Amino acid sequence: MAPEGARQHANWSPYDNNGGTVLAVAGENYVICASDTRMSTGYSILTRNYEKVDQMSPKTLMASAGFMADAQTLKKTLKARCKQYEFQNKKPIGCVSFAQMLSNTLYYRRFFPYYAFNIVAGLDAEGKGAVFTYDAVGSYERTNYSCQGSGQALIMPVLDNQLKTVSPLVLPAVSSATPLSEAAAIELIKDCFATAAERDIYTGDRVELWIMNADGVRKEEMPLRLD
Amino acid sequence: MNGPTLDFSFLDATARGSMASKHVDESLDAIDGNMHECNFKAPAVEDFEGFQREVINYVKPNHGTTTLAFIFEHGIVVAVDSRASQGPYISSQTVKKVIEINPFLLGTMAGGAADCQFWQRNLGIQCRLHELENGKRITVRAASKLLANTLYSYKGKGLSMGTMVAGWDLNGPGLYYVDSEGTRLKGQRFSVGSGSLFAYGVLDQGYKWDLTVEEACELGRRAIYHATFRDAFSGGTVSVYHVGANGWTKVTGDDVGELHFSYYPATPVDDVDAHCGGEGKKEAEARAATEASAMET
Amino acid sequence: MSIMSYNGAAVIAMTGKDCVAIASDLRLGINQNQTAAVDYSKLHKIHDRLYLGLTGLIADQLTLAQKLKFKHDMYELRENRVMSPKVFGAVVSATLYEKRFSPYYTEPVVAGLDADGKPYITSMDLIGADASTDDFVVAGDNVESLFGVCESFYKRDLDPEALFEVISHCLTSGVNRDCLSGWGGVVTVVTKGNGTFTRTLKSRMD
Repeated sequence: MAPEGARQHANWSPYDNNGGTVLAVAGENYVICASDTRMSTGYSILTRNYEKVDQMSPKTLMASAGFMADAQTLKKTLKARCKQYEFQNKKPIGCVSFAQMLSNTLYYRRFFPYYAFNIVAGLDAEGKGAVFTYDAVGSYERTNYSCQGSGQALIMPVLDNQLKTVSPLVLPAVSSATPLSEAAAIELIKDCFATAAERDIYTGDRVELWIMNADGVRKEEMPLRLD
Repeated sequence: MNGPTLDFSFLDATARGSMASKHVDESLDAIDGNMHECNFKAPAVEDFEGFQREVINYVKPNHGTTTLAFIFEHGIVVAVDSRASQGPYISSQTVKKVIEINPFLLGTMAGGAADCQFWQRNLGIQCRLHELENGKRITVRAASKLLANTLYSYKGKGLSMGTMVAGWDLNGPGLYYVDSEGTRLKGQRFSVGSGSLFAYGVLDQGYKWDLTVEEACELGRRAIYHATFRDAFSGGTVSVYHVGANGWTKVTGDDVGELHFSYYPATPVDDVDAHCGGEGKKEAEARAATEASAMET
Repeated sequence: MSIMSYNGAAVIAMTGKDCVAIASDLRLGINQNQTAAVDYSKLHKIHDRLYLGLTGLIADQLTLAQKLKFKHDMYELRENRVMSPKVFGAVVSATLYEKRFSPYYTEPVVAGLDADGKPYITSMDLIGADASTDDFVVAGDNVESLFGVCESFYKRDLDPEALFEVISHCLTSGVNRDCLSGWGGVVTVVTKGNGTFTRTLKSRMD
C-alpha cells in the first residue's frame, strides 16, 4: 500500500490534538461564530492567542478545532478555491456552496483524514443565518447551532437546553428557527465559553465572537480563565 | 480547469492505485480545482488497515442507526430514525437518513454518515447521467448495481455502509440491500443498523402483503419507534416514506420524545415510594412532627 | 468502550440551603446498546438523610450497595446512632480502596445532611479517591455533559423546590446528549425541616 520510497518510524503519528472549542449560533438575520484562542499540545499551552475563526468569503465564516496543522492546510486550500470560484463565476462563493465544497474536500481525504472538526457559519441567499456542522471525514448537516472541539460535550447540552427547537424532520413541518435576539445570543455564547473554560483544560485565555449580519462582520471579545 | 467535464476516473480501481504513488505538490492540485488528481490520497504507511483502525480512534465518524424498508401490495414503505452518535456521545438528533436520489428513488443511510452521504450523492449523479444518456429513468436494479459496483471497488479500504435502495420503475416496486462489503440483495423486507433486530421483531410480527398504505406506514413507524426505545444508538425523529407508482412521498415525521407518550401515555406517579427508599408525603409529615426526637448522629 | 460504560448511568448530587438533592437516570443497559430496563434507579437509601448513588457496572453497584448498607446498619446497632454523611463517605472510600488491585467497577456519589442540617456531597473514583465539594458532583458514563449543564445552571443556596428544578433540568439536558443514559429520571431532595421527597421525571425515551 505504501508508495515507493516511503519511510516509516515505528512510533510516529501524523496527528496531534491541539484542543480548543468552536461554536456557532444562527438567528433569523444574523449568525455568530466563536472560538477560544488557546492552542495546546498535551499539557502544554503553545499559545494563548490563536484565532480559530476565519472569514472565507463575504458571507461565510469557518472555524476549526482539532489538529491545527491540518486545519490550517485545509483553510489555505479552501481559501484558494474560493478565490478561484470568484474568478470563474464573477461572484463570491455563497455559504451553502462553500459548505458542500468543504464536505467534498474532507471526504476526498477519507483514507487519510484531516484531523479537524469544522463549523461553517454564514448568511444564506435569503439572508438567514446558517450553521453547518461536520465530522472529520465530511458528513455534514445544516443546523441552528453547533459546537465542536474539546468543549463540545460540555457546551452542547447547554445549547440544547436553551436553543433546541422542533426537529426539521417533523411532519407537518414547523419552523425550527432559533427565537433568540442577537444580543441574547452573544450573552449565551459568552456564558457557554465561561462554563467550558471552567472544566476543560484545553479551552481558555480568550473568546472571540465574529458576528455577521446584513451590516457586515464585527468582532467582540471576552477574557477567559488563564489557568 | 478545462470546462465542466465530469471525470469519473476515480471510480477506476487501477488508476486510483497509481495516483497514490505520484509525488506531486498535491496542495497545488487541490487548489487547481483538479480534485480527482489527488482524490482519495492514500497515507504513506506500510500497514494500511492498521492505520485505518488507528485513524478511526482520532476522527470518530458518525455511526448508529435503525432503518427499514419493505414491499407490500401498494408499494414500498421506508422508515428511519435520525440519530448520529460518535461513541456514546450523540452528535445529532436530526440527521436525514433517507436520501432522495430522484423522485422515484430513495436510499437509506446506516454506518458511516460521511460514506453514505458522499456515495449516495455520487449515486445520484450516476443515475442522472444514466437518464441523460438513455432518455429514460434508471431501474432500481441498475441503480443498486451501480452503487454495489462502486462500493465493491473500495472493498477492504474501511468504508462502512449498510444501505437500502428503494424505488419504483417499469417493473413496479424494487428493493435492494447494498453494503460496503459488496453485498447486493434483492428482497421484500430489510432492516439495517444497530437497532435492526429490534425493528425486525415488530416488523415481522405485523407484516402482511395486503396491508393498506396507512397500516403499512404505521407498521414502519412503530417498528422504528420500538427500535429507538430499546437501542441506545437510535433515536431522534421517526421519518416514514411511501413509494408508489407516482414516486415517493414523505408520510410522517414524529419526534420520539412525543411519539413514545402517544403510544404509552404517562400517568403522574402518586406512589413516590416506589423508588429506592424515597419518602412519601405522609411519611414526611409524620417525620416532621417527630423531628425533635428524630435528630441523631 | 470501557467496562464503566457497559450498563450506562448518570448521577448528580447538589447542595442547596439546608437541603441536598441527588438525581439518577432510570436506564439499565446490557451489551452496551440494548436497553434492558427503564425503571432502574441508581440511588440507594442509607438512612433518612443520607443517599448513595452508584454508577458503573451494575453487578458491582449491587454488591457494593449491599456491603455498605450492611456496614452502616452494623454501625447503627453498635453505636445506636446513624452515620453522618462525612463518616459514611470515609467508609465508602476505605471499602473501595480495600480492593485497590481488583476494584469494584463503580464510581459512587454520596449526598446527605449531617446532624446540624448541613449538606455534604462527595464523589469518588473506583478506588476511593474522594473529592468533596460544596456545590455539585456528577458521575456516570458521560460526566462532561453533566458537568457542562451543572456548571451553567447551578446556583448557591437554593431552597428545596428550586434545587429540585435545577437538578431536574441538569439531569434531563445532560443525558440527552448521551446514548447510554436517560429514559426518565428520579430525584430525591433531603431537607432539614421538611423531610425528604422523591419525584420521578418524564423525559425522552430514546
